[in-house]
Amino acid sequence: MIVAMVLPLAVSLLLGASAPWLGHRLPPATAVRLLTVAMVVAALASGFVLAVAGTLVVGQIPQVAAEGHWSARVLGSGMPVPAVVGGAAAMTVCGLLMAAVRRAVLSGRDLVRAALTCRRLGPDVGGLVVIHDDEPDAYALPGLGGRVVVSTAMLRALPAGERRVLLAHEAAHLAHHHHLWVQAADVAAAADPLLRPAARAVQVAVERWADEVAADEVGDRALAARALARAGLARAAGRGRRRGASVALAGTDAAVADRARALLAGPPPRRRALAGALAATAVTLSVAVLVASVQTEARFEAAESAYAAAR
Amino acid sequence: MTAIGRRRGALEQEVLGCLASAGRPLTVTEVLADLGGDLAYTTVLTALSRLHAKGALHREPSGRAFAYSLPEDPAAVGASVTARRMSRLLDAGPDRAGVLARFVADLGPDDERLLTELLTDARSEGGEPRA
Repeated sequence: MIVAMVLPLAVSLLLGASAPWLGHRLPPATAVRLLTVAMVVAALASGFVLAVAGTLVVGQIPQVAAEGHWSARVLGSGMPVPAVVGGAAAMTVCGLLMAAVRRAVLSGRDLVRAALTCRRLGPDVGGLVVIHDDEPDAYALPGLGGRVVVSTAMLRALPAGERRVLLAHEAAHLAHHHHLWVQAADVAAAADPLLRPAARAVQVAVERWADEVAADEVGDRALAARALARAGLARAAGRGRRRGASVALAGTDAAVADRARALLAGPPPRRRALAGALAATAVTLSVAVLVASVQTEARFEAAESAYAAAR
Repeated sequence: MTAIGRRRGALEQEVLGCLASAGRPLTVTEVLADLGGDLAYTTVLTALSRLHAKGALHREPSGRAFAYSLPEDPAAVGASVTARRMSRLLDAGPDRAGVLARFVADLGPDDERLLTELLTDARSEGGEPRA
């Protein structure tokens, strides 16, 4: 049972530490899906074992045991969790649960905002909204089929072939519901802070995924890389003009140069073994949690029957 | 290759992007010249006509053909304001929740040099002038 209790935390730690590397090695679409699923499983498992540890300790408080009709002594016999650890676990799990709920609410609010904006932007004509702006910018807005928003300055900065790359990239974000993967990873990272580096890896991989779809669509990886380079430089120049020197938020989003380099390096290999290992980890963790849950239930049942026999 | 190989709606988006970047009315021939030689004249004409029928494009006679442009109506300006306010809102703070997927993020210090090199290399290899 101790193994089942510690495993989720170990896996979270490992996943957080290896996610940037995994995100680079795996093909982007696989990385996004597998990392996010593994993160959600790890977050749920960690929350669950913390909750179990907390419950076992709280359940031994005499008043709680009397209220629950179970024997505090039997519940605590051969206790796998020291009292201090259990108490800390109970408080941690409450805090993390609140953080996860807050994150989920914020994500939901932003989705609603995006959908409302889509509606305000008027009927869907070709899915493209051109805004008249001197700042080069382009992004995808999900909701109600979604819109691709591009400023006139960005369109002017790119030749036709590279505009096609940009439009294909943003359309890929919408078609594959990338925001949902990113948001699921964010909620998992809020619930389990050990996973924060993994959430960032998912964000990076989502951009790479859209890059790969765009490169496929235009059938020219070098063209896709040039589009990224030119758009990145145009945006930097536009922002530099507007707000003076470096406003670079390096590290918040996928680095443009890394993405361009990855496109030039050729199609990503499939890495079946690595993907399999990651999937197997998620499955193992699920099984371990299942075992822990069955054992906890058995412990409570024993404590309840002991309580009934003593009366 | 005509519009085959493009995803649904892609050509219409490209046509809109082309007209928006030109900033002046363009004829079918001019749009075709900008988008590249793999498209058929009739394919571009169809896309332009369809967008005009939907009210997304303004059309005026130009010689024996039509010239197309994005309408300069107040609704479009309103959309610009709405979209800009939206992007500011979703961009704000460390709390932003991954709804807004930007094509390119802001550049780090080394990125600018690397990307400039990438474009320079492409030019010297002759991959560049295909506008």
